[in-house]
Amino acid sequence: MKKIYIAIVLLTIGLSACKKDFIELNPEDSYTDGVFYKTEQQFRSAVVAAYAPLRDVLINDYFTSEMHSDNTVYQPIPGNRGTAYVERENISDFTNTSTNAYVSATWQHSYTGISRCNIIIERLKGSDLDEAVKANLDGQAKFLRALNYFKLVRLYGGVPLSIAEVKTAEDAFKPRATEAEVYAQIVADAKDAMNELAAPAKFPQTGEATKGSAAMLLANVYAVQKKWAEAETVLNSLLTMGYDLNANYGDAFLPTNKNGKESIFEIQFLGGSITGSTPNVLSFHFIPRSKDTRILTGIAIDNTSTGGWNTPSSDLIADFEPNDKRLDASIGIAEGTYDASSYFVYSAAKSIINYVPATGKIGVPYIKKYLHSPLVATTGSSDDFPIYRFSDALLLLAEALNEQGKSALALAPLNRVRKRAGLADIVTADQTELKTIILHERRVELAFENSRWTDLLRTGKALNVINAFGVKIRQQLPYLSSDAYVIDNHHLVFPIPQNEVGLNPKVIQNPGYF
Amino acid sequence: MLLITQLTFIGVLLAGSVHSQNLDQVIHINLDHSSVKTSLLGIQEKSGIKFVLPEKLLSGLKTEITLGEQTKTVKYLIEKVLGGTNLEYKIVEGYVVIAQKPVPQQPGNIAGRITDEKGGPLPGATVKVMETGQTVQSDPDGNYSISLKPGNYSIEVSYISFLAQKMNNVSVREGKTTTLSFSMKPSDNQLSEVVVSYGKQRMKDVTGSIATIDASQLQDMPVGQFAQQLQGKVAGVQIAQTSGQPGRGMGFIIRGAASFYSSNQPLFVIDGTPITGSINNINPAEIESFSFLKDASATALYGSRAANGVVLITTKHAKPGDSKIDFSTYYGIQKIPTGKLPKMMTAREFATFMKERGEDGLKYEPGYTIAADYHAAYDHPEQYGDGTNWFDLLTRSAPIQSYDLTIQSARGHSSSTVIAGYQEQQGVVINNGTKLFSVRFNQDFTSANNKLKVGFNLAPSYRMDHNNRLTSDGVGGYFERFFEASPLASPYNPDGTYARSVASPGMVAYINPLATYMLTNDDYSTTRILGNAYLNYEFLPGLSVKTNLGVDKGAEMRKYFQGGLVTGTQGQTTGTSSSVDNGSWTAEGNLAYTKTFGKDHSIDALIGYSAQEFNTYSNNLTGLGFASDDIEYLNAATSITGGSGAGSYSLLSAIARINYAYKGRYLLSAAVRRDGSSKFGINKQWGSFPSLSAGWVVSDEAFMKNLKDISFLKLRASYGITGNNFFAGNYDSQATIGTYYYNFNNTITQGQTINRLPNQELRWERNKQLDLGFEIGLLNNRITFTYDYYRKLTDGLIQQRAIPTSSGFSQIIFNVGELKMWGHEFSVSSKNLTGSFKWNTNLSLSFDRNLITNLVDPGYIRRNITVSSDYFRQQVGHHLGEFYGFVFDGLYKDAADLANSAKYLSTPAKPNGSSDIGTIKVKDINGDGVIDDVNDRTFIGDPTPTFTGGMVNNFKYKNFDLTIDMTFSVGGKILNAAKWAYQTNMDGSRVLLAAAADRWRSPENPGSGIYPRTKSGTTGIGRSVNSQWIENGSYLAAKNISLGYTVPVKNLMLKNLRVFASVQQAFVITGYSGMNPEINVGGSDPTLGVGIDENAYPIPRTFSLGISTTFR
Repeated sequence: MKKIYIAIVLLTIGLSACKKDFIELNPEDSYTDGVFYKTEQQFRSAVVAAYAPLRDVLINDYFTSEMHSDNTVYQPIPGNRGTAYVERENISDFTNTSTNAYVSATWQHSYTGISRCNIIIERLKGSDLDEAVKANLDGQAKFLRALNYFKLVRLYGGVPLSIAEVKTAEDAFKPRATEAEVYAQIVADAKDAMNELAAPAKFPQTGEATKGSAAMLLANVYAVQKKWAEAETVLNSLLTMGYDLNANYGDAFLPTNKNGKESIFEIQFLGGSITGSTPNVLSFHFIPRSKDTRILTGIAIDNTSTGGWNTPSSDLIADFEPNDKRLDASIGIAEGTYDASSYFVYSAAKSIINYVPATGKIGVPYIKKYLHSPLVATTGSSDDFPIYRFSDALLLLAEALNEQGKSALALAPLNRVRKRAGLADIVTADQTELKTIILHERRVELAFENSRWTDLLRTGKALNVINAFGVKIRQQLPYLSSDAYVIDNHHLVFPIPQNEVGLNPKVIQNPGYF
Repeated sequence: MLLITQLTFIGVLLAGSVHSQNLDQVIHINLDHSSVKTSLLGIQEKSGIKFVLPEKLLSGLKTEITLGEQTKTVKYLIEKVLGGTNLEYKIVEGYVVIAQKPVPQQPGNIAGRITDEKGGPLPGATVKVMETGQTVQSDPDGNYSISLKPGNYSIEVSYISFLAQKMNNVSVREGKTTTLSFSMKPSDNQLSEVVVSYGKQRMKDVTGSIATIDASQLQDMPVGQFAQQLQGKVAGVQIAQTSGQPGRGMGFIIRGAASFYSSNQPLFVIDGTPITGSINNINPAEIESFSFLKDASATALYGSRAANGVVLITTKHAKPGDSKIDFSTYYGIQKIPTGKLPKMMTAREFATFMKERGEDGLKYEPGYTIAADYHAAYDHPEQYGDGTNWFDLLTRSAPIQSYDLTIQSARGHSSSTVIAGYQEQQGVVINNGTKLFSVRFNQDFTSANNKLKVGFNLAPSYRMDHNNRLTSDGVGGYFERFFEASPLASPYNPDGTYARSVASPGMVAYINPLATYMLTNDDYSTTRILGNAYLNYEFLPGLSVKTNLGVDKGAEMRKYFQGGLVTGTQGQTTGTSSSVDNGSWTAEGNLAYTKTFGKDHSIDALIGYSAQEFNTYSNNLTGLGFASDDIEYLNAATSITGGSGAGSYSLLSAIARINYAYKGRYLLSAAVRRDGSSKFGINKQWGSFPSLSAGWVVSDEAFMKNLKDISFLKLRASYGITGNNFFAGNYDSQATIGTYYYNFNNTITQGQTINRLPNQELRWERNKQLDLGFEIGLLNNRITFTYDYYRKLTDGLIQQRAIPTSSGFSQIIFNVGELKMWGHEFSVSSKNLTGSFKWNTNLSLSFDRNLITNLVDPGYIRRNITVSSDYFRQQVGHHLGEFYGFVFDGLYKDAADLANSAKYLSTPAKPNGSSDIGTIKVKDINGDGVIDDVNDRTFIGDPTPTFTGGMVNNFKYKNFDLTIDMTFSVGGKILNAAKWAYQTNMDGSRVLLAAAADRWRSPENPGSGIYPRTKSGTTGIGRSVNSQWIENGSYLAAKNISLGYTVPVKNLMLKNLRVFASVQQAFVITGYSGMNPEINVGGSDPTLGVGIDENAYPIPRTFSLGISTTFR
């Protein structure tokens, strides 16, 4: 019997270590969803996470909303035909296909933001947070969700409408909703956000979404829907929230002037290389590719693999009225020469005003609004990127008034913007004339703020403007393909990313795309 | 009976003292010249006492009794008469019984020598006396001696991998030594014991599909990894070297890739302990044998981890009586075979190409301009010679060396083995190499009664990789750069320092690969301890408890430093310090019962449990902002970022198995394992893995006895279910919270939210396998043949399933589908010649097939959503990893061809799209008149070979031996992306293959018709896969040829001395134009696909000399 005892003891030594929960392991280095979303701090943290994808959308959206217009073109690089170059050029040229990775990226990151908002909105309902806190967090999430859907619906048309937390694979396979359904959701969210959020308590603001942000978004939606009266009402409420124009146009973009009185909503960046910093790389994406960009950036940055995009078009430059202070504030000239690899060797940074190239040099315009030299680190700058500025609200108000036939009333907000730019007042009250003037004013005031393409779309000018622009620009830039900027109706929306169509049979591709 | 007789006898003696006739009566008698019998009869007559006189004892006695006249007691007289004989007397039932005197026996001996068929000594063979159960082991010279009482005995001698021999009626005489020597015949594995899951079994009794390899045959190969030694040795086991990185780059697949996403590597079990870390740190010299468990019945006891097969590794344990020291070493020189090196353009050729490219641009493209530096570089190609040969600069002949010392001693009931090894392999790429120090201690103890066995094995090792963890393989890997940098550029500045940029005008930026290798210092050390302790105790006859506790502990440290000259962002000198501490333990306890009932029924049963837990902790610090490149430590960095993390998984299991044999020839085995794993969805953590198998040893049947030529025949069948939990994530089925940063007014704010979708229903990848096989031995097992047919259905394949990104997520871990695999495996082993010139051949051959039978929507899984790297697709109705792309249809020949053919991305605004005369033309698959990336690509090749295998030929003549070891693969396709995506870039951004100079330049000068024109905007399609990229990957490789000579030694201490010379990777015969056709087997990451050649560290050819010695 003793021997049997020994055997049993030996067998049970290990067994006794095996508790029931031996195989129920949870990660120690992160939370899981079951234990998170309980406290106010955790929900706040979740809201912060919902802001983060704005940066990812932006870095693709300057292709899908700005270069995909008559405002900007790109620096050619015939020696490198990798898809990272060709696909981005194609968006600019309106020759992108459904397999374009950058078109997909705008889509994907917008939805990442939406999904994070859905989690917050859904889980807040069952939480026991203070009602005021709940309202504020819900408002921010709804603003962000509406902002993302608004981007999507304008670029792609009716998109899958996901407003609940995705918990299983099945939840992820949704058909496309109609544009109207998407807009209804955007309006509902924006209204909720307006109700739940407070106007800026002080300037500079915190950088979080406010009642003003939601109001501006809602007005913008109404403008697309041509609900001008509603837009006017909302915009008028915005005028009471303490926003104002800066004295100088360029002040709105200064890193030292973040979230100031002119800012309604902007994407926050912070330079540096410490953990958690979120540097803005656009300042060197938007200048010609060079092994040494020091003359513009004030720091040894080689942007040969990142730069060369969003080069202001001659058409846009020509569209600035004489003496418009915004031209010099928005656009600079990089002077130098191209080498055989199409890299630019900078020799000087020049003003665009009355610019004449030095002998043997070429002047390449670049976006100056967001470049505040010297950069702190090679990883990027601390420049924020505007989504909505007060001047946008003023111009939209002018438009809403003009569209309702209250053209005379439109002049005040319009001229408020022009005055700051150093331009003479507009005096005509002709509705049609004003329409053109306001659209032009938006183009120069909001240049490089990713609103040109959507402005052309909602004003119905896209086909004419782009095709006409194409005729001119193809002559000027021989590297452009003969079908660049040749667009028809199907180009007015982007293709649904092929990956989505391929994965989900319920998603039907936009007509004209394979 | 014996016992009763003895008791009776004692009783009689006691009674005799009371009732005995009076032996003390005195009689008078004359005993003169009479025989014993006559004398006794006389005493009987005179005394009246009754005697029993067995005739046979007395008749033969020659003793003459001459006592003369005597007047003495009867007792005295009887004793006197019997005194000179071997007789004695007893009193039984009133009679005086004359009986044989029990001999005060001196033991005798059986002694002899046990040798192999060549007469060489076999130390450690077991000699068993069947009647007494005594066993002894032969000594180092093969001698044995057993002391036995005189008598007749049956003696059996057994030795692993030799046929046991039995000798009956061996007589042992008192004080004498009977000489009995045995010459053993190799058993051809049929009767020898092999290591199987949780124990050993005679090969004859095995009902699963198991192949074994004796590691001693493999020692001549100058390689650092045992996987390299095993290539082509086992049918159904595909091993390939996908990269030549020292100490790395081996891929293992047993019976076809079973998974898309989970690992396809088999489970490795060392001395009973499943290991969780890398197999690279195991010194091949420590290994005694391998068992490859292929079918479900063989692997079932490893349940959830067995779907890819199991490799059981047994390390060396000293055998009783075998004390010795072995020392072996080799030194080799590795060189990259140059036959298949891509022939790139020289400086002059590249300059000519670039010049002509510019000329063509001016000719065909309005507005084309050429920059001044382009003119300067290329207008006069004749000024250049061959230019910089980057490959020569970056590669070298490199030494490889290895030293192994094995000390084994076993006396009585304890055995110990110590193996110490040092291996050093310098890379054939400069400034790169690896060193491995390893030690193994194996200590075993058996109690005097053989009932208790305790052992302790410990194997620490330390590996130092230098620049061996750099990304050398694949896209963007350093090796790719060797062929891309400009031959016009010098690696050095005029002042002798390294240049950073080595691109010529018009090329994209290239960082000097020479400087990259020289200015990068990546030291990666791995300390590893593998250990296990076991205790087996037979507490009742046939019933044992077996416990094993195993540990696999690893610590890795990385010190990485890259000078700012070569960092991606110029001047960003980067240092990294990181470490990983991981470990797993396995605890197992089993009860084993072996019993034979009657003559014919034997069972062998096992039940037990197993628990395993793996833990890892890692941290990583990266330093930037170094003021100079002088101090390589983070102390000199001004900015340090980093993080740390942890993970673990666990497995809890119960196992049971029963083997039953009837008459030793009808075999049945059933096993089941129940596993719970932490890796799966909370609702699906548990799985059951049963198996059933049967065998019939037909050759033992009476009706087979007449078929003398068939010495062995066994039929086998098995069916079972196993699982696969080898996927990287520990918590993939749970929604974890990730960290995302945002800032408000320049204040960094940490955000947290779900970063992964959960899947609570995630379950085992399950593999149902049927195996039918037979083993046959012919001509006294001179030829053996094994055949297996298998059929596997893997369902619940685990994969990161792509989901619409409109969910906010791009993937979810999921059981995505079903894969069917089947195949035939053949192994032949033949002794072709057995005289003084010996020749053995082993051939293995496998035909593996697969078909994807079910997948979640949309019925296929892409490799990549970027078309240019979307190399393959897993699709229902297709084979694993079939290549996907355009179908090449030559170049557009002329205007008419262009007008009449579909063109790439043609639109109304640009009818020719991106096509033109002289550009790549592909088939319009959907017939819509336009070539696009979605509708005109299709399946263009299958990487699965028709068959694979290996052949080993051994020759032996006198003291010479020669081994030729070959592997082959036939029919698999390779996608040669290295060549087409990188080396034929017509944009002039990379150096081209010399052959690409023969490209289309005009209708009159169309070139070879393979390489298209250089016109801007038309070359893009060349970067997407087309059928031109697909090549036949068949090959025959001589992995190793080695010649050995055993030096005859007559020395008291040195018992064995062998010298050998070998060539590893001697030659490869293939039509494949890339460097390595073995790329056709997936590496460790199946999601990267099989048969895709995207540049890999070259596999060197190694010439080596070695010596192995044995001292006693």
